[in-house]
Amino acid sequence: MVKYFQNIWITLTTLLKGMGITLVHMLKIKRDNVTLQYPEEKWPRPERNIGFDHDNYNVIRSRLHVDMDDCIGCLKCERACPVDCIKIDTVKVPSRGEDIKEIGHVGVTSNGTRKAMVVTRFDIDMTECCYCNLCVYPCPEECIYMTGGPNAKKHPIDYEFSEYDRSELVYRFAKQGSKDGIERIMAEQEAED
Amino acid sequence: MTVDNLYNWLMGFFPGITESPILLIIAILVPCLALFLFIALYALVAIYGELKVSSFMQDRVGPMGQGVGLHAGKWGLLQPVADALKLLTKEDLIPEKADKTLFIMAPFMIFIGAFIAFVAIPFGETLIIADLNIGIFYLLAVGSLAVIALILAGWSSNNKWSLYGGMRSAAQIISYEIPAGVSIVIVIMLTGTLNMQDIIKYQDGGLFNWLIFANPFTFIAFFIYFISGIAETNRTPFDIPEAESEIVGGFHTEYSGMRFAFFFLSEYANMFVVSGIASTGFLGGWQSPISGYFNTPSWGVFWMLSKIMFLVFVMMWFRWTFPRLRVDQLMNVCWKVFLPIGLLNIFGVGIWTLIFG
Repeated sequence: MVKYFQNIWITLTTLLKGMGITLVHMLKIKRDNVTLQYPEEKWPRPERNIGFDHDNYNVIRSRLHVDMDDCIGCLKCERACPVDCIKIDTVKVPSRGEDIKEIGHVGVTSNGTRKAMVVTRFDIDMTECCYCNLCVYPCPEECIYMTGGPNAKKHPIDYEFSEYDRSELVYRFAKQGSKDGIERIMAEQEAED
Repeated sequence: MTVDNLYNWLMGFFPGITESPILLIIAILVPCLALFLFIALYALVAIYGELKVSSFMQDRVGPMGQGVGLHAGKWGLLQPVADALKLLTKEDLIPEKADKTLFIMAPFMIFIGAFIAFVAIPFGETLIIADLNIGIFYLLAVGSLAVIALILAGWSSNNKWSLYGGMRSAAQIISYEIPAGVSIVIVIMLTGTLNMQDIIKYQDGGLFNWLIFANPFTFIAFFIYFISGIAETNRTPFDIPEAESEIVGGFHTEYSGMRFAFFFLSEYANMFVVSGIASTGFLGGWQSPISGYFNTPSWGVFWMLSKIMFLVFVMMWFRWTFPRLRVDQLMNVCWKVFLPIGLLNIFGVGIWTLIFG
């Protein structure tokens, strides 16, 4: 009989103890909460990796990026790509090394090379990209590179580029309207001649 | 009360007529429609509350979102609406070997059981759809309708898990009705009435006139009733009829879409009914805790709803704290603890009223 009441007493006290714990957790939501609201909040990236600074890596396999003002349209990256995920179309400019303001074409690269081509299409399909970095080495103007790492000064690292639609992952670097623009300019020039 | 008032008000428009069945039907249907909307609204609030309470207790943030578009709204406020839409648009599956008539009937049966119980719950001094003179007896009787629906669902699914669930729920609900009834008997002993409004009127005059504080035995009786009530609604820690880790989904294993939603809705409605009876019988219903203050009819609705919602919160608190009982433990608690203590309570209350009353 004593055992019976002891059992009831133990049950009640332990249940209340458990309820106390959950209540404390419920009321302290702000401090204990470990959930990260991902797209809005992110874990801080570590400053350094295993023993090396970012500059010491020759490559970080993140997203490919192209500085279009420096691209001369030599197609070396397109040929180097083992999975053919880079597609480039070019049109010859009327006069080499001169700016074409209407389509935002810059005539001379930051290395001083005078451009002979207008790039009307520069698509990189990041769904096909195998992150081999082979397109980066042949580039004579160093305008195609992986973001972040040693290139962090040129473009901050971007490794979170998921999209709702697969077609959104095809990155189109060529300047807007450059295809139509250069075709119109060439046609005008032909008419003048 | 509400039906009578509405009927008299409608009859006022037609001075020549003394009796009109059509107006009576309208007077009955309008409160029922309002009640249905109230249950749906309450279920949305309770589902949101349950999501948030569970996540806060587990150090999570629960449903969250920034905008209306792809997220669940500010603080996830649209999550219950999204859940309801999902359940509405889901495919309605009926197993090939199921007993189709009974299978279709069961969700309606369980919802009717929950719905008609709402009729006798007093939300305010005049705000009660049917002020029955046997209100509490009616509520106890109607509460056992759920058992039929659960056995029906378990049997007609033609599935071993469902049958186990149905059988377990039958054993559980029938067992726990006895301690619940025994605790209600104490309320009836003290108030001397079965009418819900008269029970509340008996507890007039502040916090310490509520029946829970009338004497030590009613204090124990309240907890016995409340815990038995949780067992009757099949909620954790007494959810052995639908124990996910043991028998998949129990009686609702084969249900999907809207039919499942009805089981879900009636679980929440039953929580409300049990909390309603507990707050009417022991916590003074629509009476204010401070004697003489906040006693207007609108405050009455506020007090009743806040008492009920607090008890619903306590049920959620139980759910996210306690592990599920085993079947034998469940029966032990009912027959070896609640029933003897409940019977002793009746005896004790009798002696107490004889000496101090």
